[in-house]
Amino acid sequence: MASVAASAPMPAAGRRGFRLRWLGEALAHGYVWAWLAVFALPFVATLAYSLRTPDGEWTISAYQYVFGSFTGNLLLSVQTTVITIVLNLVIAVPAAYAIVRYPIPGKSFVLSTLNLSLYTPAAVMGVSLVIAYAFLFRIPQTMTGLIAAYVVGTFPLMLVPIIVALRDLPTVFEEAARTLGATRMQTFWRVEVPLLGPGISAGILLTFVIIFNEFLVTLFIAGPSTTTAALRVYNLTRTAGFQPSTAALATTMQLVSFVVVLLFFRFFGSRYLKGTYLI
Amino acid sequence: MTHAPAEVAIEYHIAESEARRRFGSPRLKGLALLAPAVVVAVLFSLIPLAYLFQVSLTQDSSFFFTAQYTLDNYREVFSRYRSAIVVTVYLAAMASLIDLVFGYPFAYILVRKIRYREFVRTMMTFPLFGPLYLAFGLFYILLPNGPLGPLFTMLDINVAQYLFSQAAVLFSMAVFTFPFMVMNIGAALSNVDPMLEEAAKTLGAKPWQTFVRVLFPLSWSGIVAGFLMCLGWNLGVFAQPQLLGSPAEQAVLSIQMFNKGLVQFNYGLAAALGILLMVMAFAVTWISLRFSRGALGA
Amino acid sequence: MTRVQLDLVTKRFGATIAVDAVSADIQDGEFVTLLGPSGCGKTTTLRMVAGLVDPTAGQIRFDGQVVNAVPSHRRNIGLAFQSHALFPHLTVARNVAFGLEVKGTPKAETKARVADMLDMVELAAYADRMPAQLSGGQQQRVALARMLATDPRVLLFDEPLSALDRNLRDTLKYSILDLQRRTRKTAIYVTHDQSEAFAISDRIFVMNEGRIEQEGTQLDIYLRPRTEFVANFVGDNNAISGEVAGFVPGEPGEPRLVDVRAGDLRLRGMDPGNVREGDRVLAFVRPENIEIVADGFGGDGENLLRGQVEQIVFEGPTVRLLVDVGGTPVKVTAGGIDRLTLLDKERRDVTLRLQDVTVVRDDPNVAA
Repeated sequence: MASVAASAPMPAAGRRGFRLRWLGEALAHGYVWAWLAVFALPFVATLAYSLRTPDGEWTISAYQYVFGSFTGNLLLSVQTTVITIVLNLVIAVPAAYAIVRYPIPGKSFVLSTLNLSLYTPAAVMGVSLVIAYAFLFRIPQTMTGLIAAYVVGTFPLMLVPIIVALRDLPTVFEEAARTLGATRMQTFWRVEVPLLGPGISAGILLTFVIIFNEFLVTLFIAGPSTTTAALRVYNLTRTAGFQPSTAALATTMQLVSFVVVLLFFRFFGSRYLKGTYLI
Repeated sequence: MTHAPAEVAIEYHIAESEARRRFGSPRLKGLALLAPAVVVAVLFSLIPLAYLFQVSLTQDSSFFFTAQYTLDNYREVFSRYRSAIVVTVYLAAMASLIDLVFGYPFAYILVRKIRYREFVRTMMTFPLFGPLYLAFGLFYILLPNGPLGPLFTMLDINVAQYLFSQAAVLFSMAVFTFPFMVMNIGAALSNVDPMLEEAAKTLGAKPWQTFVRVLFPLSWSGIVAGFLMCLGWNLGVFAQPQLLGSPAEQAVLSIQMFNKGLVQFNYGLAAALGILLMVMAFAVTWISLRFSRGALGA
Repeated sequence: MTRVQLDLVTKRFGATIAVDAVSADIQDGEFVTLLGPSGCGKTTTLRMVAGLVDPTAGQIRFDGQVVNAVPSHRRNIGLAFQSHALFPHLTVARNVAFGLEVKGTPKAETKARVADMLDMVELAAYADRMPAQLSGGQQQRVALARMLATDPRVLLFDEPLSALDRNLRDTLKYSILDLQRRTRKTAIYVTHDQSEAFAISDRIFVMNEGRIEQEGTQLDIYLRPRTEFVANFVGDNNAISGEVAGFVPGEPGEPRLVDVRAGDLRLRGMDPGNVREGDRVLAFVRPENIEIVADGFGGDGENLLRGQVEQIVFEGPTVRLLVDVGGTPVKVTAGGIDRLTLLDKERRDVTLRLQDVTVVRDDPNVAA
């Protein structure tokens, strides 16, 4: 019976409808792919440029700078990023815990104050910090100042996924651990931290992606000894024009960022990034 | 039913408050856990912003020597920098509008038709690595001997005319904030039950009627939130006009602030420009939080 | 092993009183159930025993020792949650081992104990699975093993079966009873499901609005409800409002009986002991305790009522009828093979014989 129905000629209108729908599907997917190409294109162009000599030959010689004169900038970027992530964790995990699990007077006001730096344009933050660092805190162009700026600008991003993960986490696990004889500390380390893992990792990812590539606040407050790799890309573009060596550094930065994002998506998926900067 | 005699109840109340004293009140504990975050926010966000406001009320860089208080900086901002405000708002609004027009169908297709969503999300992170790399890559594409040169020649497009143009700035701004638009509209659309669209269809609605009468009203909050989020980011734009724009686009507030403050050392004027930009950004954020009630509405 | 006493235990959340001066004395090895509708305070009571909620007033004692200030993790109790609450990041074996590990039990001992526990719930083969890979019933059995592994003094159950489907519920409730009987631990079980309560408890506490309405055995609760709430909440009931007309001595050794006049109807039920002639009372009779006798039979005997069938619903094993008795609607559930004869639509006049009529004082000051 089924085979008869399948081999029976379709009415003309139905076939046209089928073709139209097929065309619509193809267009829809094509549209998305076109945008994906747009997203990747600047990176691919930068990569291509970093591999060309002025004569149009292919070469990887531009990358000698990445592992030469840019190494210091890259190391500084890695160093500031790691320190910022650690400090963000120290600040954001207890804060998220307090916001979700404890009675805080004026909770939404406190949360808005903490998030204030998130809504401040980078250049405004830069100019306000350059003034405050020079004349109030007396830490101009220092590593301390740089890291303080990174922490205040990104710990709210760490806060959001951890709050989401903590809210998702039913209190029964905590209670089950308590009734089984675990102390508060044991409960925190053995039950809550592992279960919050994806949320905490999401916060780490967000901090990494932003701080590793930050150049604007840095442009305002960094000195010659605190030039991060992203700022170096900007400075080189402004002073030396458009060089394959700069392209090589920009490519390296994006590649590292993308690999980290890929690894995160592979292990944790995108669930805990919802409602945050990345997704 | 028997009730506890009052004196017994009081006795246990005392026992409980003693226990509380021993273990600490939950409110104090919560505040202690919150303290480091609050200290950082106050020291490096609130105080510098308050300081910036104070500096904006002083002549040039006099604040740091003998402060001369004046409103001149704001007068200057609203007279000589009017065009800078206009171009900042215009670029931000246009880029956000482009995001809305192109982002809505993208979000719809992503939510309703695409199974490889994780892949699309991963690819969408590229622009988020920063407008700097984006502008850098685009610069190369727009060069006369750029990688897509043969393609543009074939299509008879003189691509070099777009280098240092408003179009290039708008395009790079729109690409940078595109994911924010898609994310907000996508979140709103994924809350719309596909059955509602089917119901509209079975009731005889044409596709455009379904969109206007069902989808659009139900995803309205996502549209507003997405638009305002893009607007907020784009108001602070810096790298794209700097690298890809003409002098007209390079007049945006962020670049002006950098030039006045760190090149010409006119801190008073830079601070006034900063306060203006901040007020604009906060206003946008405030409206968007009103609208979305925030992802975290406490 | 442990006697659990609650002495005027009260919990206020702001202005609302969740638990209102509850007292209970639960004997060592006894299995009691707190039965009541949602929001009646039964779960809060249990959580106070578990140490997860601090009582506002009152004392909780384990074997005479006040445990109010003892934090949950030092009370040595086992709590089964509505959702199994298995740690999703740990294997079945690590879940069962959790309580032992946090107490610093030696590894070898922990391992042996975990194996024993998993054997007991017949899940030894699943030791290395993750909780998400188990069925709902298996998950709840792992939760039982986890809770028993630390050899707790008291077992607490917070509606552990409510998330499971009906068949699983039936098997698991007997597994729980079996485990409790084998370990002889004191158990407090919270549920809103009376069939669960009747099936497994030694004693039932019916709770309503933060108070204990009645405590007693299954039969006490079912046949001799002492308040309107209990009569209505446990099983289905017909409530007929009337007043006390007089008293009749009962059979030798039985309590005396009371006659109730409700309009034209006269009912005879058990004397609640706190009513006098002329008092307003409610007479309760369960639909399944009403027998339909041949029409025209008798007429005006005790607990014999005549009425007209208004509605017949065939439910398979039973037939439910709504009978109009002189203006009062009376629900009747008929079982047995005779029920089929009731389906005859022509037969409208029937005579009902009421059995086990319960009389309760109709006190408007006590909220139902």
